[in-house]
Formats: sequence, structure tokens, C-alpha cells
Amino acid sequence: MNSNSIVGRAVPRKEGRDKVTGKSQYVDDLVLPNMLFGATVRSQIPRGRIRNITFGSGIDWDEFVIVSAKDIPGKNCIALIGDDQPCLANEVVNHPEEPVLLLAHPDRHLLPKAVEAVSIEYDPLPAVFTIEDSERGSDIVWGEDNIFKTYLIEKGDVDGVWDKADHIVEGEYTTGAQEQLYIENNGMIAAFDAAEGITVWGSLQCPYYIHKALMTLCALPAEKVRVVQMETGGAFGGKEEYPSMIAAHTALLAIKSGNPVKIIYDRMEDMAATTKRHPSRTRHRTAISKDGKILGGEIDFTIDGGAYLTLSPVVLSRGAIHAGGPYYWPSVRIHATAVATNAPPHGAFRGFGAPQSLFAMERHMDRIARAVGLSPVEIRRRNFLQPGQSTTTEQVVREPIDLGKLLDRALEVSDYHAKKQGFAKGNQVGATRKGMGIAAFLHGAGFTGSGERYLSSVVGVEGCADGTVRVLVSSTEFGQGTKTVLSQIAAEALGLPYENVGMAQPDTLEVPNSGPTVASRTVMVVGKLVQSAALGIRQTLISSNLLSDTYTAGEFRVACENYVAAHGEFRSWSRYEAPSDIFWDDQKYRGEAYAAFAWAVYIAEVTVDLTTYSVSVDDFVALQEVGKVLHPLLARGQIIGGVAQAIGFSLYEKVVWQNGRMQNSQMTNYIIPTSSDLPPIRVHFEELGNVYGAYGAKGIGELPMDGPAPAIVNAVQDALGVYFNSIPLLPEDIMDGLSSSSQDNDVVSAGRVQ
Amino acid sequence: MRSNPSDYEMVAPGKLHTIVSLLAQEPGLWLPIAGGTDVMVQYAAGKLPARKLVSIWNLPELRRIEVTESEIRIGAGCTYTDLRRHEVIGREFPLLGSAARWTGGVANQNRGTIGGNIVNASPAADSLPALLVYDAELILVSVRGERRLPYASFHTGYKKTLLAADELLQAVCLPRRFTGYFCHARKVGARNAQAISKVCIAALGRIADRVVDDVRIAMGSVAPVPLRLMETEHTVKGKAIDSELLLLARKAIAAEIRPIDDIRSTARYRAAVAGNLVLEFLNRLSSEQMGAEHEQVADALARWNRLPIDEAIQTILPCCGSEAWAQGMVARRPFADEVALVAASNETWRSLTESGWMEAFQLHPRIGESRTSSPKPMSQTAQSVEWSAQEQQDVADAEAAMKIALAEANREYERRFNRIFIVCATGKSAPEILKILRRRLKNDADTELYEAAEQQRQITEIRLRKWLRG
Amino acid sequence: MTVSGASCAKAEISFTVNGKAKTLCAYPMERLLDVLRQQLQLTGTKEGCGEGECGSCAVLMDGMLVNSCLVPVFQAEGSSLVTIEGLASGETLHLVQEAFLECGGAQCGICTPGMILAACHLLNGKPETTMDEIREGLSGNLCRCTGYSQIVEAVAEAVRRRMTV
Repeated sequence: MNSNSIVGRAVPRKEGRDKVTGKSQYVDDLVLPNMLFGATVRSQIPRGRIRNITFGSGIDWDEFVIVSAKDIPGKNCIALIGDDQPCLANEVVNHPEEPVLLLAHPDRHLLPKAVEAVSIEYDPLPAVFTIEDSERGSDIVWGEDNIFKTYLIEKGDVDGVWDKADHIVEGEYTTGAQEQLYIENNGMIAAFDAAEGITVWGSLQCPYYIHKALMTLCALPAEKVRVVQMETGGAFGGKEEYPSMIAAHTALLAIKSGNPVKIIYDRMEDMAATTKRHPSRTRHRTAISKDGKILGGEIDFTIDGGAYLTLSPVVLSRGAIHAGGPYYWPSVRIHATAVATNAPPHGAFRGFGAPQSLFAMERHMDRIARAVGLSPVEIRRRNFLQPGQSTTTEQVVREPIDLGKLLDRALEVSDYHAKKQGFAKGNQVGATRKGMGIAAFLHGAGFTGSGERYLSSVVGVEGCADGTVRVLVSSTEFGQGTKTVLSQIAAEALGLPYENVGMAQPDTLEVPNSGPTVASRTVMVVGKLVQSAALGIRQTLISSNLLSDTYTAGEFRVACENYVAAHGEFRSWSRYEAPSDIFWDDQKYRGEAYAAFAWAVYIAEVTVDLTTYSVSVDDFVALQEVGKVLHPLLARGQIIGGVAQAIGFSLYEKVVWQNGRMQNSQMTNYIIPTSSDLPPIRVHFEELGNVYGAYGAKGIGELPMDGPAPAIVNAVQDALGVYFNSIPLLPEDIMDGLSSSSQDNDVVSAGRVQ
Repeated sequence: MRSNPSDYEMVAPGKLHTIVSLLAQEPGLWLPIAGGTDVMVQYAAGKLPARKLVSIWNLPELRRIEVTESEIRIGAGCTYTDLRRHEVIGREFPLLGSAARWTGGVANQNRGTIGGNIVNASPAADSLPALLVYDAELILVSVRGERRLPYASFHTGYKKTLLAADELLQAVCLPRRFTGYFCHARKVGARNAQAISKVCIAALGRIADRVVDDVRIAMGSVAPVPLRLMETEHTVKGKAIDSELLLLARKAIAAEIRPIDDIRSTARYRAAVAGNLVLEFLNRLSSEQMGAEHEQVADALARWNRLPIDEAIQTILPCCGSEAWAQGMVARRPFADEVALVAASNETWRSLTESGWMEAFQLHPRIGESRTSSPKPMSQTAQSVEWSAQEQQDVADAEAAMKIALAEANREYERRFNRIFIVCATGKSAPEILKILRRRLKNDADTELYEAAEQQRQITEIRLRKWLRG
Repeated sequence: MTVSGASCAKAEISFTVNGKAKTLCAYPMERLLDVLRQQLQLTGTKEGCGEGECGSCAVLMDGMLVNSCLVPVFQAEGSSLVTIEGLASGETLHLVQEAFLECGGAQCGICTPGMILAACHLLNGKPETTMDEIREGLSGNLCRCTGYSQIVEAVAEAVRRRMTV
């Protein structure tokens, strides 16, 4: 890239001006004529058979539109991977807050009382609430055995390593549920017209997921379902699959009433009823040689999927594939399971299984270090994957990544050694203890395995009548910079000024299915398609003799105007083709899991206050190799934002459950960090390029979620000398850990095992 | 938003007397709303029972702060921002200032009021512990007039107060007598800002003569009401802060508080942290005192270093009584610190001749007697009289029989050695001294001279330290 | 300004918004947030939580930052309000808005209006704010996207520019 490049520069955010002036239109800002407001009547119990529904007195029910499962024209399900999740519960409810009925009224203020006036009587059924309860199998709440999905990843000869081990190190690590807490609540508007079909506008990540779900629910053909994304105030995965549910609800009310219907959740409803990060439990048993090398091991990774299948198989997959971290495992057996409980289904949240399994791996590395007598630095250095070696799924590392050097740079930037030495001295006295912690990890960008192949994404680039260029994708902007970066890519490919290129509002009537905006794939995978589609526009103009090989912006504009005048619509399409050297075996769960991995080393400096047992993160270094940084400000913003969420995941955000229901469903008692709680987060990038990504970029959106939690808990251990294996790690837990005298016994033996 | 606005009525009469009349007409029917930072949250959650509200927001009669010589009167309608900005509050009532800074974020501080905090009566409220330690009084007003009551009695149970159904809190008054106290406040929440407290402390302390002279400790979120830790205060008062006292304090706190498990935290955590917070306060009080002491010592020494020679001799003489010693000390000025002073004193004392020592010995009253009954008037000041009295405190309390025995032994000593018996009496009881006396009676003259000198050296050191501390 | 009789009728309420005088009819307990968004179509002010925790609904009321979801519109009578729509002068953005654009202070944008107003309030009160004071002044505004760094940097940049103006 030269100094005239658009890619690589911090160009203005496309929709930035609208955002800072309050002009951006989010779904609740949109008002349609004759619009009604909708609300959801939900289950108050975790599991049971619906016996009776009564509509209480004091409400003029004639004024309300009432929708039940019987009003569903097509199939009563939210079509996703499976079809087990009903749109509205019909006979049975399987989690608290499960939707049963829908109400609509012109006056939104009448709805809360009306919702309360609906009484549902149940015959309760036994329910399970934890992974252990579910595994026990004494109450089956899903399928035959409560198991949504399992995977087995095997490499080498695991059973043979134990005899050769000098150390066998075991550990169990758990992570809790986490609420995405986008600051804009979920919301949707639907309108129905017999001729045109259903249109929905909403806060969402994946227009075509909703499109598919509505087709099935309403028994409508593709051309009679239209989904439009409004400006979306944060998503993080929380608006990947759940919006299909709200879209379904508004659609049903719109169909029944003949009016447009708006549903906007308030914060309490959004937190209690919608998806959260899957709680997890990981068990490690690892065979280590006396010089600290991993010989092999077993990893048992289990996630709690809640009451329905939804996306759990995919979360499980990613978690399982990442479970071995950035290390060389000569042999490994990864057994992964997703189980059902009677909580609202858990779902996508930035990282998507990897933060869970990588927390375990990186905590476990520190445990291994202690067992062997090596430092956390050295144990990692000795086990890092090298180019030419293969991952746990036998994907060969083909890029010249030097993790040892990344580690060195992170250590230098964070002043790790000097600080650690200083803390060791300082920790002898005083009311605080300080510590340093490391996490090394990787994150695969794009859909797992053959996922991108199945998605078969299509991207369009349009030359408009006024000579400007428009990117046509279903990839959505929700703060991460989609509009900006895809415009940069197209502008760069065409050699045009950034100002002349924009992105169309994602509207299924207008844009092709470029796949969901998830899995850190937008810049890398979709961006690469934008690049080729843009080149297609250029090529057409050149082969039509309207443009020479080199041209000015003015010449391009004229050529484009002329082409449109002559031929009408001017669009170029590009469809994803799997690279021929990427191969994944879905049966054996082996092969090239991802086209590219981003690599990272994060280092946390913490202070534990012994008066209050609270942890403050005083300094945080986030160092990552990301292929190419296409927009420095956006990339940095993504890393800092992800680190902040992960700090919340480790130290602040606890979901308090009672019988499957979230008790602390308010911002006042579900705690995320404020500006007074976070240090300045220091971000450093390395760039090795990436042949599979637009201009060499790798996906980075989820990467920063993986490292902070184990880095911080490792630092707390460094400060206190106490093992903590569970997050969130609250002051109450630290106090308990300090006062309990038991140190867990992590080394089975230092000698050969019989 | 889970309430229907059309169900609610609001009036804003704008005058206090109209408002209290309204409250009297239909007691309990009208809910006063000031900044709304609590009422509106309940309302939005669909949990506000009241349907009629009377706005008391920005009422001039409630939103003013009056400062008199003896007290500050803070209108109940003052916001946290008003409190943060007020100079006298910042200077004389810093615990209230810090509570105002901790409450919510800036936007909520601009609307939330001290009156709301008090009347809402949450045990977790940030400003209430400060009001307890500052001995606040409340002025309540109704059609029946004004009444004033101590804030300490206001909370009768969880969210229950003495506020009558027709009453309005008009003002909170704090007496202006808390300058000169060491103050300490800390809030423990789930995060550094915008957090409901898990535990919080507001405390004042004062040390005099190395013991706790006064201490006031109040905590939030450790009981159904904001709690003044009377028992703990009692345990600590009058004692020196050492590790033994801290242990006692921790036990007292544990017995006094009744924390619970709730959605924010656990009883066990609150109990442990409450103890830690009080100990942190006591430790800070102690080292602040030490710090203040160090400053005092440094000042006193610096001043003496600069005095003219004669004055300097006269000033230091009561510590020892020996002119030679005093002159020797003055000649070695200036001294950098207490350590150097004491070292020089020891050296100077040891280098004196016998006559120098004798001069010092003769300053003391016979042990167990007051100065006036002593045989020889000495060059001594009221200061040394007082110090002698302090040093011999324990001895002065001795029983009559012991007194007689001591007097007898003293006289025997004087007959034998021709001078008063000198002993460093600080911390020693009468029987102990009698024992020492009888032992030393058996010394030969030379040995006894050195023992007496050593005792004087110790006495001098104690007096030097006291002198530096004023 | 009183409400008539026993039934809960609407009240006539007057205030200025962004320099313009407005008179409207609303139930006294309608939230100022809802009146701004629905009656006045000033949708720049957002609802994030409805309980005064997130700051997305923040506006300036008589120069003071307040959470409009906690203000009954009745209490806004006679006040002077500033919303995000009132900051820019025509096409010219406010200093803080410019700084947010340049420093990447806005990602999804939903917290941005409240955050910008909080920054303005901070700068109005104390022009030479330190980084710590910026963090404290914004601690009542939650952001889930940025991790705050680029927001704090934007405000610091605005402070710098203001001092050189």
C-alpha cells in the first residue's frame, strides 16, 4: 500500500456524522402511520404443560390484537439450524420468559398492565438448571438425553502418552453466562401487505437469517419477505439469531391486525428473555514432559445451551477447535458436548465458544508451569506452535508466525519482568498485592470448516447513475465499521476517492446474501468478495471501451454514468469460492478449520485490594498479529472495546440465576465497567498479511474477547498465590479463596504413573 | 416503561406552606417528588404505588444552604451537586462531600437530593453514615409546625422512619464542631462509579496523648438502617491504637453489625469488609496521628534550633535539670531530628561529671511525694513539676501502707547515699519501685551513682520526647 | 401550573428546546425522554435502560446534565433544554462532535448523544479537565463498544482545541 492508499488509513466513519448529531435512525426512531405497539406474554416457570390461559378483568380486550400459536400461518418455529424452538409456546414451555402470547394496541402505555392481566396456569414439569443436573440424566428436558450435540477431535495417540509423562496435570475451569448488554435494546417493526408480503425493519445483524425464519413461519416465498436493517446500537452476537424471534412476533401481529406493529423491549425484558453467552465447564488432563513440553492430553469441553438447540452446535464447534490454544499438541482428544437446561437459550456472543475454552487453556498453562517449575513465560514459549506444525485439528501452520517473538514484544511493552520483580518485593507488605498475568491465544476468522462453502456468500458492487459506487452486501454495520471498511476496500480496488463509494442499507430487496455478520468474517471474507466485485465493475467499463486502464475519478464517473444510461442497472457480482487448499472433514472433524488465524499475546497488570478484595486492572497490553490493519482507528477501537467486554466477563458481570431466570436483569445490578473502572488499554499490531483476506486482513472482531479473562486471573494468582478457576471472579470469591486453606492438588505425580 | 402516565397526577404549588397543607388534607395520598432519581425508577418498573405526586423540585425554601456560627443548615431539596459545590461543606464536612461525589453519576447528582436520600431511608444510601457521625439534626415541617429531632433516632427499621404521613423533611443541620478531626470515608461497590454500596464507612477520629480521644464510626449496608457503631467506638475510645486494640475492634464490629445476603453481595463478605474498613480507618488515624506528630516534632525542634542560646537553655532545662547538660545540648545545635536529639542527650549526659548529675537528681521530688514537700527547692519549672506528677502517677495511686513503706525506704536511701532516690517511674507500679529501691539500697556508692544516672538518662529521654510533642 | 380536578388530565407545559420555545400538552408524569422523542420528534436522545444508569437519555436542563428518563415532563416547565440536535450550528459541528469523529469516539452510536452532552457539560464546568476528571465526568455514561479510551481521547482533544481557540 502506498501513501495514496485508502486502505490502511483512518478515513472518516461513513455514518459518523449522523451518529454524532443524533440523526442516525435506529428502529425506535421510526414511526409508521397507524402503527400499533406489541408486547409479549411470557412463561413465568421454567418448564411445564400449559393448562389454561385466562384474560383478566379490568382490560378492554376487544381493543387488543391477540396472537397465539394457532395464528401462525406456516411452521411454529424459529428456523435456524434445527426447528425445535417454537415461535410461541403451544402446549409446553421449556424456560422462564418463553413467549406464549402476543398483544398489540395503539397505546403502548396500556400494554404492561394487559400483559400482567393474562394468567397462565401450568402443570409444572421437572427442570434442570446446571450442566451437572443435565448430565445426570434423571430429568430429560430435550431429545433423548439432553444432549444437543457432541464433537470428538482426535489427533495422534492420546492413550499412549500417560506412560511417558513426567507430570500429569489436571484442572477444571468454569465460566458463567454473560449478557451482551448492547446499549440499544432489541426492537423490530413489521408491516404486512397481501400483495407485497411481510416487511420488517429492525436492530439486527443478519437480515437473511430473519428472511429465512419468516419464510418458514409465515409460509411465504422469498420474494414476499423483506428485511431491512436500521442503524443498530450494538450487537456483539446478541442480535445474530434472537431478532428472528422478534421479527416473527411483529410479523404475526402485523398479519393479524393489518397494521404495522412495533415491538421494542425494555431493558429488563431484554436481559431476562434473550440470549447470553453459553456457560461452560472445561476439564483438562495433560501429560507433560520434564522439560515442560505438552506430550498430549484430554480436554472435556461442555457448554450449557439453554432450552433449545439454536446455535449451540456452532458455538460448541468453535470452542472445541480453539480448546488447545496456540500450542503444539502431538496428541489430543477433545470431547465437546452441548447440553440442554431450562434457561432461555444461550446464544452468540463475541468469541462464540472460544473465550470459554481459551480461558481454560490459558489458566491451565499457568497450572502446568507451576507443576513443572517453569515460569508462565517459559512454559508457553516451549509449547508454541511453529510454522510447519499442525494444530489440534491437524491444520498445518503455513504462515511465518513467530509466537515467541510476539511474546517477547508483549513482555517488553508491558515491562513484565521488571514489574514482576518489583511486585514480588512490594507484596511482602501493605494492603494491596500486585501481579502480572499472560495469555497467549489465537482466533480463527470466518466460518468454521466448510461453513463458508455452505454459506456461498454473494456480494454485489453497483455503479450508480450519478457515477458513484455502492457496495451491496447483507453485512451490517453495528459500530464495528462495516460500512467504512467495505467502502474503503471498494474504493481502493477501483482507485477512486473514498467519498465516491458507499454501502447500501442492508435490505433483502436490494442486497444479496453475503452471509451473516458474525465470525469475524466481514472484512476478511466479505471484503475480499467486495474487492473482486469492484474489480468486476472496473473490468466491465474497460471492456466496454468506456474507460482506459488508468483513469481519473472524473473519468470513471462519466464512464459509469454512460454505462447506466446505455444499459440500465450496472452491477457486478462475486460469489465465494473456497480456496482449493482449504479442506475440512466434517465427519472426522479434522483439517483446515479456518482460512486464517489471528494470533495474540495479552498481558494484564492487576492490583488486589486486601481491604475490599476487589481487583483493579491497572495496565493492559493487547498485542496481536492481524494480517493487515485496514483502518487503524477502527481496528484499535475494536480491540479496546473487546478487551473492555472481556474485563467485564472476568471481574464484573455475573448473571444471578434462580430456577432458570436471571434475577439481576437491570443495569443497576448487572455490572459492566464504567470509564472509571478501566485503564487505558494499550494496543499493538503485527502484520503478516493473509492471502485469503481482503488486502491481507484477518478477522479481528472477536479476537480481543479471548485473552483478557485468563490473563487477569493469572495475574490475580500471581498477586495472591491462590488458584481461581472460575469466572466471573468477584471480590466475594477472592475473599473466600483467601480464607479457605485448601490449595487444590494439581499434580497427580511428579514421577511415572503406573 | 411499565407505567401508564395517564394514571398519574402531579401538582407543583411552588410554596412550602401550600405543600404541607396538601399533605395534611390527605395524609399518605400525595407523594412528594424532588429530583425523582428514585421515584422515577420505581415508576418505570411499574412499581410506584402512589398515583398523586406533588413536586418539591427546586423549591427555594428547600434548596438553600445557610451557615451560622454554630451550624450549617442544608435544605432537603439541595442536590448532591449543590453539596459538592459548597465551600463550607467541602472544608468542614468532607465526609458529606465525598458521599455526594460517590452517588450515581453526574447526571443523577444534578437531580438527586439529600432529602430524598434521607427519606428514602435505604441502608445503602451514601450520605447517611456521614450524617450520623456529624450528629445531624433534622427539621421536619407540617401544618402543625416545625419539629427538630436528632437524625440518630430517625430510622426505626428497614425503610421506616419517624416522618409522619403529613410531614415533609425541610432541612438537615450539622453542628460546626468537627474541624480538627481526622476524617475517613470509603464506599465499597461493585465498580468505581454508579454503584449501590455493598458496604460503606464514614468515620471521624481524634487522638490526644497517644490514645483515641474521640471516635465516630458509621456504616451503610450492614444493618436494616444506617448504623452508628457505638459498641466499637466504646471499645476503642481512650485506648492507644495497637495490634491488640485492632483485634478487639474487629470483634466488636462483628458483634454489632447484621449484614445480609442479597442480590449485590453476601453477609460474609460484608462482615469481613466492614471489619477491614474500620481497621483501615484506625490504622490511618494512627499513622495520620504519627504523621501529624512527626510534623509537630519537626516544628518544635526547628524552632528550638533557632532560639537564642539563653532561651534555648531555659527551654530544655526542665527535661533534665542539669545546667551543664542543657548547655552541652545547646552547643550541639542544630539537630536534624528527634533521633539525633536523643542520641546527643544520651552522650551529653554520660559525659557529665558527678556534679552535673547531682544537679539533675536534685530536681526530683522524693518518689511518692509531691514537689512541695521535698526538702530542697530546685531550679525547676511548673513543667517539670507536672512531668514528675505524670511519671509518678502509678505511684501516687499506691495504697496507704505502700506509701508508708516507700517513704521509709526513701528515707533509708537518703541516709545511705545522701541524695534523693532516682528511678524512671513511668509505667512502674509502687510495689515494683519499692522492690527496685530495696535492691539498690544494697549497691555500693559507685554502682549506685551509675544506676541513678542511667535512670535519669531514661527520664530525660522521656521528657525530651514529650517536650517535642507539646 | 396545576392540573385540574380529580381526573388525570394533561397539562400544558412550556419550555425551550435548542433555543426554540415549545408549548405542548402532556400528562405530567410522561417522561421528558418520551416527550422529546415522540411529541417533538427529537429522536437523537435515546433510551438504553429507563433507570438512569446508562446516560443515553442525557440532556442539558438549564445547563445541568440530567437523565431525561428520570424527569417527569411537568418538572421541565420553564426550563431551557439542549439535546444533541442543538449542538451543531447548521453544518458546523460542535468542537466535541468534531473530536469524536476524529478520534473514533463513536462506534454503534447509541450512547453517543448522551456521551457528547456529558462531555459538553464537563467542559462547560471546567475547561482544563485532566484525563482522570474526564473519566470521572463520563462515569455516568455507559458504553459497550469502545472501552472508553477513544471517547476519553476525543474529550481530551476537545479540551486541547478549546484552549487554543
